[in-house]
Amino acid sequence: MSQLRASLRAFWIVLGRDLRVYVSYRSRLFSQLLTSVFSLTLFYYVSRLVHVSGFATPADYFGFVIVGIALVGVLYSCFSVAETVRQELIAGTFERLVLSPFGPVRSVIAMAVFPLLYSFVLAAFTLTLGWLVFGLHLHWSTVPLAVPAMLLALLAFLPFGLAFAALTVVMKQGNVGVSWVIALISIVGGLYFPISLLPEWIQTATKFQPFTPSTEMLRHLLVDSPQATSVLATIARVALFAAVLLPVSIWALGRAIQESQRRGTIVEY
Amino acid sequence: MRALSPQPAAANGVPAAAPAPAAVPIAGPAAESVPLALSGVSKSWKGNPQPVLTDVDLKLDIGTTTWIGGRNGVGKTTMLRIAAGLIDPDRGRVQAWGASPRERRANYHRLVAFLPAGDRGLYARLTVRQQLRFWSGMAMLDRDESERRAAAALDLFDLAELADRRVDRMSMGQRQRVRLAMTFLPEPETVLLDEPLTSLDDEGAALLEAALLALRERGGALLWCSPSGDHPDREFDRDFHLEAGRLVSA
Repeated sequence: MSQLRASLRAFWIVLGRDLRVYVSYRSRLFSQLLTSVFSLTLFYYVSRLVHVSGFATPADYFGFVIVGIALVGVLYSCFSVAETVRQELIAGTFERLVLSPFGPVRSVIAMAVFPLLYSFVLAAFTLTLGWLVFGLHLHWSTVPLAVPAMLLALLAFLPFGLAFAALTVVMKQGNVGVSWVIALISIVGGLYFPISLLPEWIQTATKFQPFTPSTEMLRHLLVDSPQATSVLATIARVALFAAVLLPVSIWALGRAIQESQRRGTIVEY
Repeated sequence: MRALSPQPAAANGVPAAAPAPAAVPIAGPAAESVPLALSGVSKSWKGNPQPVLTDVDLKLDIGTTTWIGGRNGVGKTTMLRIAAGLIDPDRGRVQAWGASPRERRANYHRLVAFLPAGDRGLYARLTVRQQLRFWSGMAMLDRDESERRAAAALDLFDLAELADRRVDRMSMGQRQRVRLAMTFLPEPETVLLDEPLTSLDDEGAALLEAALLALRERGGALLWCSPSGDHPDREFDRDFHLEAGRLVSA
């Protein structure tokens, strides 16, 4: 069997394992769907309660924020790989992955696949529910384009999760900062409100991360939000982030594992 | 004691002044047929001035079994982890069948299997069969081979009846059998076992013995570590003790 085929099969097997573990907790899906319902309900009424400058109607803000909510779930999924690595360290399965021909770096990347796909499905559920129940105006002619755009965004977000996974391997606690990083991204990424409301210097800082352009791109494709730059320019920007950050984060993960093997701490947790 | 250079033990069991270890040949075509060779392996832990391993040389020969004992905390597990390629030595080299954990990494891990001590390394929510299929995937076996070896591993450790039971619903001894099945699943040529009898009943120990016999018959090699007072009731081709960071003949 060719190496590529064997690697793809191993990726598939990790995906299958994660699905099996997920469905073994029967109430988890129900709980997460319910969270989406509550978030949508909350922001539906907030959008009607408060007038937000820059939005002509409450429906405009609701459309804006619902995409943000969907992306927060995606963000959590990207960072969840750090927590998964920590669980593997505790269970002693990480050392087995280190000793497997497939290897730890590819294993960690493979561990990110299920949560990302799952968050993708959850985001689709959130948007569909918003459309069916809360009257969200989806821009159907460009909605299909949101699928590849979302995949591109995932590739740009994933390096941050891999970087935290690398931290977890070295420090055993890399997942501790995940919550506040996601909160920070939610603010500077414009997930809940437009970044034009932020101070000028923070707006400048937002140019150096992929979250804001990804969010703007998806909003444009899903709910036809206006964009400051062309879609193609935004896609190129997000793709550039992915192209630069992904190899760097994979390298950092490999280095973190090597360093832990050198220090002998790879077995600690 | 072929091709091995253990330091001689004094009568009281404390190692005598250790002679310089003879180098273990781990280069050239001959290295391709060496199941495991540690050469000048040393390891220290941060904050501990005493090295846990000092210039350890060890060579396993084809079709042989080797036991290493020693008191708790003497460094047996560290040595096995280094031999398995899990952690790096500060100095020295590790090779098996011409591969090393750093060069030809995947090949090394295809050929060398390691059972860590304890009861960890299992996915609690997966069944035994799912566990074995998962690890055969990580061994990068194709689907047919994966199924064949998973079935063989179930059979080898008498796990067929438990195949569809989740691991977190099994006894410690049953889990140990699953861990052993995972170790032997890829049909390794070199097997490193750290206290493998933990939680095993007589029947489990007999199954392990049968697996080791099969390993030996196909030309593989075994390295088994356990505390000094816990020498298993089986014959080994060679017995050693690890004392003060050095290997000595038992």
